[in-house]
Amino acid sequence: MDVESLGVWVPALPVASALFILVFLRGTHRAAARVSLSALTLSLLLAAGLLVRYLMGGGMAVIDTGGVFGSLWLDPLSLVLWAFVSGISLIVHIYSVRYMAEEPGYARFFALLDLMTGVILVMVSAANLVTLLVAWFLVGVVLYFLLGHDHRRPAAGRYAFWTQITYRFGDLPLWLAALILVHSYHSVSLPVIFARIHKAPGTELWGMPVPELTGFLLALAAFARSAQFPLHIWLPYTMDGPTPVSALMHAGIVNAGGFLFNRFAPLFEHAGWALHWTFGVGLMTALIGSGLMLMQNDIKRSLGYSTMGQMGFMVMECGLGAFPLAVFHLIAHGFFKASLFLGAGDVIGDARAHDGVPADPIYTSVVERRPAKPSRLPWLVAASLTVLVPVVVLSLSHFFVAEHLFYEQGVVVLLFFGWVTGAQALFAAHKMSQQDPWRLMLGILSSFVVVVIGYTLISHYFGQLLYPDEHESLRLYQAASIHRLSFDALVMLLAAVFVGGWALTFFAESFDFEGRLGARGRGVYLGVYALLSRELYVADVYERSSQLIVQWSRRLNVWLRWC
Amino acid sequence: MDRALFALAAVFVPIFPLSWVFNRTAALLPAGAQALVVLIVPQIGITLLAATFHGAPPPLSLRPWIMGLATASALLYALRALSARELSIWTRLMLCSGLAVVWLAWAAGSPGPVLRLMALGWGLPAAVALFLAGALTRRAGGAYIGLQGGLIAVMPRMTAGLVLAVLALTVTPVFPAFFMLWRGLESVPLAWLPFWLPLIFLWGWAAGRLFQDLLFGDYHGEPMADIGALSVALISVAFLVSLAVSLAGSGGASWY
Repeated sequence: MDVESLGVWVPALPVASALFILVFLRGTHRAAARVSLSALTLSLLLAAGLLVRYLMGGGMAVIDTGGVFGSLWLDPLSLVLWAFVSGISLIVHIYSVRYMAEEPGYARFFALLDLMTGVILVMVSAANLVTLLVAWFLVGVVLYFLLGHDHRRPAAGRYAFWTQITYRFGDLPLWLAALILVHSYHSVSLPVIFARIHKAPGTELWGMPVPELTGFLLALAAFARSAQFPLHIWLPYTMDGPTPVSALMHAGIVNAGGFLFNRFAPLFEHAGWALHWTFGVGLMTALIGSGLMLMQNDIKRSLGYSTMGQMGFMVMECGLGAFPLAVFHLIAHGFFKASLFLGAGDVIGDARAHDGVPADPIYTSVVERRPAKPSRLPWLVAASLTVLVPVVVLSLSHFFVAEHLFYEQGVVVLLFFGWVTGAQALFAAHKMSQQDPWRLMLGILSSFVVVVIGYTLISHYFGQLLYPDEHESLRLYQAASIHRLSFDALVMLLAAVFVGGWALTFFAESFDFEGRLGARGRGVYLGVYALLSRELYVADVYERSSQLIVQWSRRLNVWLRWC
Repeated sequence: MDRALFALAAVFVPIFPLSWVFNRTAALLPAGAQALVVLIVPQIGITLLAATFHGAPPPLSLRPWIMGLATASALLYALRALSARELSIWTRLMLCSGLAVVWLAWAAGSPGPVLRLMALGWGLPAAVALFLAGALTRRAGGAYIGLQGGLIAVMPRMTAGLVLAVLALTVTPVFPAFFMLWRGLESVPLAWLPFWLPLIFLWGWAAGRLFQDLLFGDYHGEPMADIGALSVALISVAFLVSLAVSLAGSGGASWY
């Protein structure tokens, strides 16, 4: 047996553990947790070993079972995601050992967690379309049962159903894309299909190039899985499931969209319009998700919308052709969000136990009742730092690390967003009233420089790992490019919008906008607020449409006498 | 002669409008007999289909009509399953929807053994669900899911069996129906696919609505005994066999 064949055990161990627990350890507590943890640990060690082996010069491999389904592809994407998924899952498992101790169905919970992990591991390494479809489909099914683990709560069931139905909707374009690819390229094997697309990218169906058509379908499948607007409504409501499931979902499962784009990267090289559409949807989701996040007063739902915003950024990165950056983003976000979810319970508990108000009467009278003395940098200095420093730091770091990519449109847009985000952080720091504003600004600036340089270096080397062929990265950026003139106009327009927004915020107090709004303006403001607080009525529209369809179904049944 | 065989086959492998006869007749039988009917009768129907047109696939001019009728029938029954709450009715509607794939594959020229495996892919879980519907009717006086809240609290074994049957009926991998659907859709012209894919959505929706009432909420009925060890063993064997067929031959599709 060669070393690559050992790879089968990475997904097989958690699946075997799930079946073992369900058959033999259903009534146990400790034994089920031990078996589950042991299987996951072995799986992680094996995944890490295979990744290290690849980094030290080992090649890619396809483990073929010979049947229609079950083949695994051990390429850099699979190996990196194997290590990531099994790592996150192990953390969630360890957390669940005590967190779920008082819950009924303890062993079943671990079995489902194992099954979910195994299915995701198969999904990220599927070497053929049927295997991918099987795993993609099963993720939705297993997630439904995990989210509805506490069957005594109807709300858990309702929101698990929302998730299941959105996932099922997202399965349809993947089915169609898979069948179109099989019909057009006469194979279910992904490496074979990609090789044939490379040779004949102009193959047409229904008057459209097949890669472009399937690119749209794959993007739609990814949107449903990664909670893109308007298929996002399930995500913030899945908090009714157990916290470890929320952590696993927000850290891993919801990232499946980014994985799908990367898996089909050779196809997206010939699907420019699908990438432009992806960019638009990602941008809109990022804006809506981040906006709605700011309106929430429930920490877990706020984290849910934060994930939606992050998924928007990840999808947007794919739309720009920065595919490896999306994988780096999903891994970084995965660890970050898992830690937030797993810590959310403690934060809520602490907040309930301690209200944070010191009991000391001297503190209360001296510190709290004394208004802070506002002290800020001169506005010209602040504006220069805010606008110029991020541009200089971002441009220099990218220029030195990957000069050949510096002029690609996708990279320019990413730098633009980096500039906006960096400037926003500096601007927020400037707005804080501090006794020593120079010290604060210096601290923020040094953090910014360290983060940007670190992020640029890591994402560059990560990109080289995932896409060793540099031309492939370039082809993706070029597929995502638009006409030069339109691009320049778009960048200038966006820059004007952002600078205008900052100016508006900066001068909001001095111009007294709120006072000048008038009754009509306040009405509009309240209308927008109501629209956003009802989450744009998306859930209501779905609810009403589904009620209508079920009503027609009932009428048909009565008419046909239920036969 | 061909027309008569064709009409009979449309009753036995139910397709609208003659599926109404199949459903009406099955509804008159006790649950155990219904379970046998959904296993055996479609197999007879496939024999009849094989005898039509002297064993050859349907003529090219007829194929689009058969595919169109199968598609409409499958969509109609899937839509109707959304509002069904009585387990036997729900199962029969889902079965009629799923068995339309057999007609689709027949029109596309799939061989007889594949059609038989397809019918079993939907027939076996339907038989299990109907058997469990009978068990529930005997205990609770009816198989209306949702009438008494989460049945899982009092009948965990029955609920587990029913969940597996529903998943298998609604083409969840790795049950055979999933691979059979793949095989069926792979063999038809691509233009039919946009009509067939909403089916997968409707099946999932129907299953989700059933699970809502079956699994969640507090049980508020009389105490009930769960199904016995023999029933559990029978159901387990049925699912193990179908899983083995799936894993060894992608639902049996890869053997032909």
